[in-house]
Amino acid sequence: MTLKLTAQGGLIYLTALLFLATALAGRLGRRELRRWLWAAAFVAAAASVAWRGLHTGHPPMQNLFEFFLCMAAALWPLSQWSRWKNGIDTETRDALLGVVILFPAGFIFSEEVRRLPPALQSPLFIPHVASYVAGYVLMARAALIALPLLRRGGDAGEMRAADLAARQTAAAGFTLLTSGLLLGAVWGKVCWGNYWHFDPKETWSLATWLVYGGYFHYRLKHGMRSRRAAAALLWAGLLFVILTLTWINLSRIFAGLHNYA
Amino acid sequence: MKKAIIFLTGLGAAVWVCLACALFSAYLAFLGADRASAFMSAPFMRSAVAVLAAAICYSGARALTRRRFDSAALHLGCACVMAGWLWGQQAAKSATTGNPAKGSMALIDGDVSDALWDGPYLTNFVGRVPFTIRLEKFIIEHYAQSGVDRDAGRMAPIREYRSRVTVSEPGKAPYVANIRVNRPLRVRGYFVYQMSWGTTVDKFRQPAVYTVLQFIRDPGVPLVYAGFAILFTGVLLFTIRVFRSGREAGEGAA
Repeated sequence: MTLKLTAQGGLIYLTALLFLATALAGRLGRRELRRWLWAAAFVAAAASVAWRGLHTGHPPMQNLFEFFLCMAAALWPLSQWSRWKNGIDTETRDALLGVVILFPAGFIFSEEVRRLPPALQSPLFIPHVASYVAGYVLMARAALIALPLLRRGGDAGEMRAADLAARQTAAAGFTLLTSGLLLGAVWGKVCWGNYWHFDPKETWSLATWLVYGGYFHYRLKHGMRSRRAAAALLWAGLLFVILTLTWINLSRIFAGLHNYA
Repeated sequence: MKKAIIFLTGLGAAVWVCLACALFSAYLAFLGADRASAFMSAPFMRSAVAVLAAAICYSGARALTRRRFDSAALHLGCACVMAGWLWGQQAAKSATTGNPAKGSMALIDGDVSDALWDGPYLTNFVGRVPFTIRLEKFIIEHYAQSGVDRDAGRMAPIREYRSRVTVSEPGKAPYVANIRVNRPLRVRGYFVYQMSWGTTVDKFRQPAVYTVLQFIRDPGVPLVYAGFAILFTGVLLFTIRVFRSGREAGEGAA
């Protein structure tokens, strides 16, 4: 736990505070204020990514620190899109998610600048990482949207809307997880010689993908009848995402080709 | 018996297969890359992958007859990827010294070779490729040194490894090519990669830098890439269908 007393750190803490203020305004029912704070938080998050990019001189997607900054910046557009698509209001939950995402970037990960090693100098670098940034954010949102489905009872119409929104968000996220996985495989062939190395991060990403595959099959079979189990599968998928992002990257048990972070 | 067949060909079994494969894939991560790929290339595991691919292919074909094109493409794409992987594994198993599938060569400037080697110190002879490589020059380029590097008293990090080689294929005029990380060279069915480097001494006992080039021949790759394209098309169609289902009755199940 270290405080970042740099311009980058300042931008991160400002974004986190704006996320917190957004959630607070949401709790207090100040919808108009919340909307403005939420947009301001996005501007700060985007500025944080832009600053990092200018500071390092390469797309800020090299390590976990930069990955988490990108995820925070992706929240607002994805939340707006979901609201437009499903009419479900998730701003308060998304703002809290933003605080959770920015916590490790603000206090744990190192902001040391590293120049791109030869392996990362590829046109596939941005599409591969960006797919996962947006895919993971969407999967986290799918789980949050599915939260009310875990409760017993509840209004049938509301439940149906939440189920549809969660399923659509997860489907969009699944497209991105697939594109991240396949672009990564193609890049692996070009860079490391093989499209699949059984590298720990590869196998965990495949496991994550398969859990969501399980969710879609389950939802297709049972429909709304066992919505709680379907929602639980979305949370299981999120657990795999979180493990991929943290444990697999940081633990020495899983040392492998993906050790850039 | 009939009940078992109905279950095994149904969605309920598909859920369990997905989740079991997910747990198995996570388990492979604990083995580490080397042990996991050795484990997966064992005959028993290859047979298991073949059975799984056949089952997924069946699901895809059934979806096709039901005109569910998203599901068909998703499943057939997966089966295609697995078939391509199995083909590549088979090629690696049946490789001979005259037709090696994978190996490396270490060269210092001026060396000429067509022999591939294996093992941690490249001491096991694998075979010969049907062309020769002459290393003209191995070049390591660094980034410009920054203030941070200077303060830390270290060299700037490496920006590029490049092996400039002359390739001589039979029946063709020799030509010069550069092999870099992320820019492999393609010769006669082989991809040639800039893999590694190190320091040694040459025949005059002078210090020299060597480059390690890796050669890989995998005939399954086109099938795997075709599978990727089909699979991704399927995912896109599936997502579009999920999004359309909202406009109708709200239930996407069929």
